[in-house]
Amino acid sequence: MKNFKHVLNFELGNYFKAKAFIVSTIIICLLCAGLMFVPRIKDSFKSGGSSDGDGNGDDNKTIAAIYDEGKVIDDISPLEEYFPSVEFELYDTEAKLKENVENQTVKFGFVVHDADSFTYYVYNKSMSDDKQYIFSKYLAQVRREEFCRDNNISIEELSKLDDDTILFDQEVLGKDSESNYWYCYLLVVVIFMLIIMYGTSIASSVTNEKSNRSIEILITSTSSTSILFGKVIAAFIALIFQSGLIGISIFGSYQFNKEYFGGVVATMLDIPGDVLFIYAIFGIGGFLFYAFLYGALGALVSKIEDLNKSAGTAQMTITLVYVFVLANLTHIDSTLIKVLSFLPISSYSAMFARVAMGNVATWEVIVSAVILYASDIAMGILGAKIFRNSTLRYGNPIKLTAAFKNLKKAE
Amino acid sequence: MKLELRNIKKNFGEKEILHGINFSVESGKALGLLGRNGAGKTTTIRIIMDVFHSSSGEVLLDGKKLIPSGDRFGYLPEERGMYPKKLVKEQLVYMALLRGMKKKDASASAEKWLDRLGVSEYKDRKLDTLSKGNQQKVQLAATLVGEPDIVILDEPFSGLDPVNSQILKDVIKELIAEGRIVIFSSHQMSYVEEFCEDIVMIDKGTIVLSGNLDEIKEEFGKGRKIISANNMDADALKTLIENDFDDLVKVISSDKHKVVVEVKAGVDQWSLVDRLKEKNVDIKAYGNYEPSLTDIFIDKAGKAEEEIKDDSENNKEVE
Repeated sequence: MKNFKHVLNFELGNYFKAKAFIVSTIIICLLCAGLMFVPRIKDSFKSGGSSDGDGNGDDNKTIAAIYDEGKVIDDISPLEEYFPSVEFELYDTEAKLKENVENQTVKFGFVVHDADSFTYYVYNKSMSDDKQYIFSKYLAQVRREEFCRDNNISIEELSKLDDDTILFDQEVLGKDSESNYWYCYLLVVVIFMLIIMYGTSIASSVTNEKSNRSIEILITSTSSTSILFGKVIAAFIALIFQSGLIGISIFGSYQFNKEYFGGVVATMLDIPGDVLFIYAIFGIGGFLFYAFLYGALGALVSKIEDLNKSAGTAQMTITLVYVFVLANLTHIDSTLIKVLSFLPISSYSAMFARVAMGNVATWEVIVSAVILYASDIAMGILGAKIFRNSTLRYGNPIKLTAAFKNLKKAE
Repeated sequence: MKLELRNIKKNFGEKEILHGINFSVESGKALGLLGRNGAGKTTTIRIIMDVFHSSSGEVLLDGKKLIPSGDRFGYLPEERGMYPKKLVKEQLVYMALLRGMKKKDASASAEKWLDRLGVSEYKDRKLDTLSKGNQQKVQLAATLVGEPDIVILDEPFSGLDPVNSQILKDVIKELIAEGRIVIFSSHQMSYVEEFCEDIVMIDKGTIVLSGNLDEIKEEFGKGRKIISANNMDADALKTLIENDFDDLVKVISSDKHKVVVEVKAGVDQWSLVDRLKEKNVDIKAYGNYEPSLTDIFIDKAGKAEEEIKDDSENNKEVE
């Protein structure tokens, strides 16, 4: 390992002197920071009263049609409350209304068959179109008013009867899975992406050295352990640097725009410090485990286009862990997740999820972390041996099982 | 300093590729490793460099087990390889650092060798922007940048034009003069003759010839004569000698200018001249045969091929 420092510096240069790395980091940081401004910008547009042309909060009125077939609407003026930027025109036949929607003279239209049913006509329906539900609310109100008139009671009295709101307080003494779910989900996705991205980068670096034949010079100059550890630690530093900058830009920008966020996004970004600490411990362990594996897998092929064949094993395992953990986030104390939280191939994700959302004893966390880091060291040494044994084997990709057999033979 | 290979054997799977290679080389000397394609030269070199582990035998440096990455080795592999997208000087400094140099010395050494090989103007360029010849020179600079005591060059002249070959020849002569050990494999016999005191010729994983080059040449030329004539071409002369003088000599080889013969035991060499005169041969040249390394190589490699053919034919007959 005496040349580890030199390999590390050289490999760091491969990241930090690469224009693609610097430019992509800057672009991603700017994009992420920019995204955090979207609610603020949206809000400023709303308060400025600009038009979105969709009948929601604009000055230029959208023309819509209504045909009261069942004669249930006395007055359409209350509709303005429900559709503030829409001017409704009354029609006397359904066919005419339909024709005008079709030729886009009007944006949309409602045919009220009776107090309980209506047809909504629209030419192109957008994904966010909820006018039918808004109109349902309006019609329900019409019905309520009719009921009040018939029974000689006021609408306020009816509302009071309808109101079933019970006031309650809540104190979560353990974990609040509901509020932890989203950031847990986010962090599982993030570690999955980082391992795949940087793992592939390490494997490519090894395969490229094999492809350009510089590997023979390297392995006669220093130990394979120095080479593999240098590559993995350089990738780790680059990962910390890149994801750190992206994280700072997201959280910094979020803090600046916090008041404009709510719901899921706010829940995702308000991550407690102790959860982040456990995430870091297991995330680093999981990354190192797979990084060493990717390094060894990169040495099993001679051409970069064959890398997918070799790295597929790791890719598949990581994806399965990702799917199992995400699918079981709502059953975090299940046996499957408990088992996964102790295996080095999956504990980086499963144990973190258990800590964030389930019940887990401290000793379990410690045992899992020890297994994970011991496996990292074992995988590092094993990876370096596979790397060393495979570097001068050119031609068809070597299977991982064959690489293990070769190791046994070499020993 | 003495580098020694003792009974090196190498198996790939069930097949034995090297059948017991022995040789040694000392400081200030160059050893030429010769052999046809697939003879086992590169495998031998890779075992010295610990790229491959030998199945048995040992590589020693001054009597101790050799650790290439720990000793000051410079290695030019047969398959040239550097980083095409990296700056020339940057990768030379990296190689020197891996060979144990301090950063300042590594930088100075990189400058020195780039300058010596005439490629210093490209030090801040990416390798893949250089011509093939200049890339070869950079590769050689990478071999020597660690100021190695032992330099191992696998086919160093392949792909070099005559001018660059001359530069490399000069560099190798300097390395030898500075007291370093140089081992190189080559098909180009003239280069081997130029630098090497000792040669090792490998065929099918076995050493077929080894020792001091001058002694080998002397031994190979012993009892052999060259003959040429003014009044007949070499082919006619060869036919005449084969038909009429088989009691005196045996024809070894011929080219368009001369015939090489081996004088049989107990025959007076001048009796051949007398007999040629009797046959009205106007002798143009008659003298001792000084074989070139190419002649020795072809002879030895050819014999080995014949032995293999004979062996396989005998085996067929037995079957």
